[in-house]
Amino acid sequence: MSELLKVEGLSVTFGGLKALNDVYIDLHKNEVLGLIGPNGAGKTTLFNAISGLVPPSSGKFSLDGKNSDWPKTHQLAKLGIARTLQGVGLFSGLTALENVMVGAEAHASNGFFADLFGTSGKSEAKLKARAHKALAWAGATAFAEKLPSQLTYPDSKRVALARALVLEPKILLLDEPAAGLGHDEIEKLANLISQLKEFYSIIVVEHNVEFVNKISDRVYVLNFGEVIASGPFEKVRQDPAVLAAYLGTSIAADAKLGTGN
Amino acid sequence: MNTFISTLITGTANGAIFALAALGLVIVWRGAGVVNFAQMGQAMFTTYIASNLIASGNSYWLAFIVALISGSLLGMIIDLLIMRPLAHKKSSSATKTLAGTIPVIASLGILAILQALAGIFWAGEERGFPTPVNSFYFKNGDGTLPFSAFNLFVIGVVLIVLLSLTYFFTQTGAGLGMRAAALNPEVARLSGIKVSRMRTLSWAISGAAGSLAGLLITPSTNLSPNTLDLILIIAFTAAVVGGLDSPLGAVIGGLILGIGIALVTTYGSPENVFLAILFVLLAVQLIRPNGILGGKQVRRG
Repeated sequence: MSELLKVEGLSVTFGGLKALNDVYIDLHKNEVLGLIGPNGAGKTTLFNAISGLVPPSSGKFSLDGKNSDWPKTHQLAKLGIARTLQGVGLFSGLTALENVMVGAEAHASNGFFADLFGTSGKSEAKLKARAHKALAWAGATAFAEKLPSQLTYPDSKRVALARALVLEPKILLLDEPAAGLGHDEIEKLANLISQLKEFYSIIVVEHNVEFVNKISDRVYVLNFGEVIASGPFEKVRQDPAVLAAYLGTSIAADAKLGTGN
Repeated sequence: MNTFISTLITGTANGAIFALAALGLVIVWRGAGVVNFAQMGQAMFTTYIASNLIASGNSYWLAFIVALISGSLLGMIIDLLIMRPLAHKKSSSATKTLAGTIPVIASLGILAILQALAGIFWAGEERGFPTPVNSFYFKNGDGTLPFSAFNLFVIGVVLIVLLSLTYFFTQTGAGLGMRAAALNPEVARLSGIKVSRMRTLSWAISGAAGSLAGLLITPSTNLSPNTLDLILIIAFTAAVVGGLDSPLGAVIGGLILGIGIALVTTYGSPENVFLAILFVLLAVQLIRPNGILGGKQVRRG
């Protein structure tokens, strides 16, 4: 299998604190990768670094076998990487449909003057059609015209997922997609992810280990900002370092690195 | 009765212009987080450009279009040369609490520079500015109707601008992108939106709106480097009355001030106009501190 995304030697420091230290991960095509680890292990920091939201102090980034500069946040969509946020992060003043159209618009990537004078009505209609399609994929068609404040938490997560899908990415970064969902919702989400796997390569940060086990082909386990184990879930769960991280030192880890993962 | 109706119509026409200027302020506030005190200075500058074009024999309409284009260019230049570098400057901890005011102070500096430049280029003389259509009241047999063709022109033009801006912000991808960038820059970037480009775009649109306001108001105020200062104060008041972050609020605020000022001028005395503006501002701030249509969270970093 070829490596679609490879991150090597990634370190991130906040002040004096090393949030990530020499992290290596790779992602293969049509694979679901789980990122697990105790609170504050650096999982979301890893996502933030990949999305350019926090600058890495060192690290190499390669996509499709090609080395490139560390990406800036607004370049991700063009590189084919889309991300959902833990806090959902929908635009509060826009309807669900408009939220998704924002992503579709970026995909169209017009020039400055096309932006200034507005694009043609035809392409706007296309935008809307694509946004509707993404909403349908995420099972969110029913509340296209609703504002985020009118949506339940699971529903707003669907809209956020649609906003990522509309970018037609190669890689999906899902930040705690199962958090706050009920049992049935998690079941549905797992099914959706296994369907999406046909078209996308997916990295999932998740606390719910059961869920990760169900959806992931491989997992990476992070602790104190370092990868302590990787491989198929069944193998990793036997690893003594992982057991220690989860059972022995998770409270200490919280206290030491309480950066809200 | 005729006086009352004509006061209302004049007030509405002026109010529409104030609404336009207020809208320009709101667009830059929402899009870039800056209260742009230079806005009517920019408008004064581009109106001088139009005035010179007309004086050298060109048609009003050519001057009109050139002024609008230079208005949006001037807005873009201000953003690219001054506001964007300022935003990228890391503020030290001492100035951090003041960071939000830095671009505002910069805008006051830009206003001073534009007024000084206008004084140098055009000697600061006060001059009139033409209207494209007749500004005398329509004749109706022996009497007159209580409004002029220019009144109708102003109301019509502003209405078209408001409708197209509404269309732009709600129906086009770029408009959506601008709203998204203003609501949450970080998430907008994740969706691939170039937030700094959206900011430049809001400066461009706001600059054109301000220029249009300048072209429409100078026939009644005349043109000198300082004449539009008063319009800025009125427009700012209108924007605050409307809630500063609400485009519709800015329009309502502009109309309230336009009609209010016309009523005070007709039935009170022109000297009391300032007092009336202050009164409206205070009253709204006391009753609805966030403005008529303002959101709860008006402040932003």
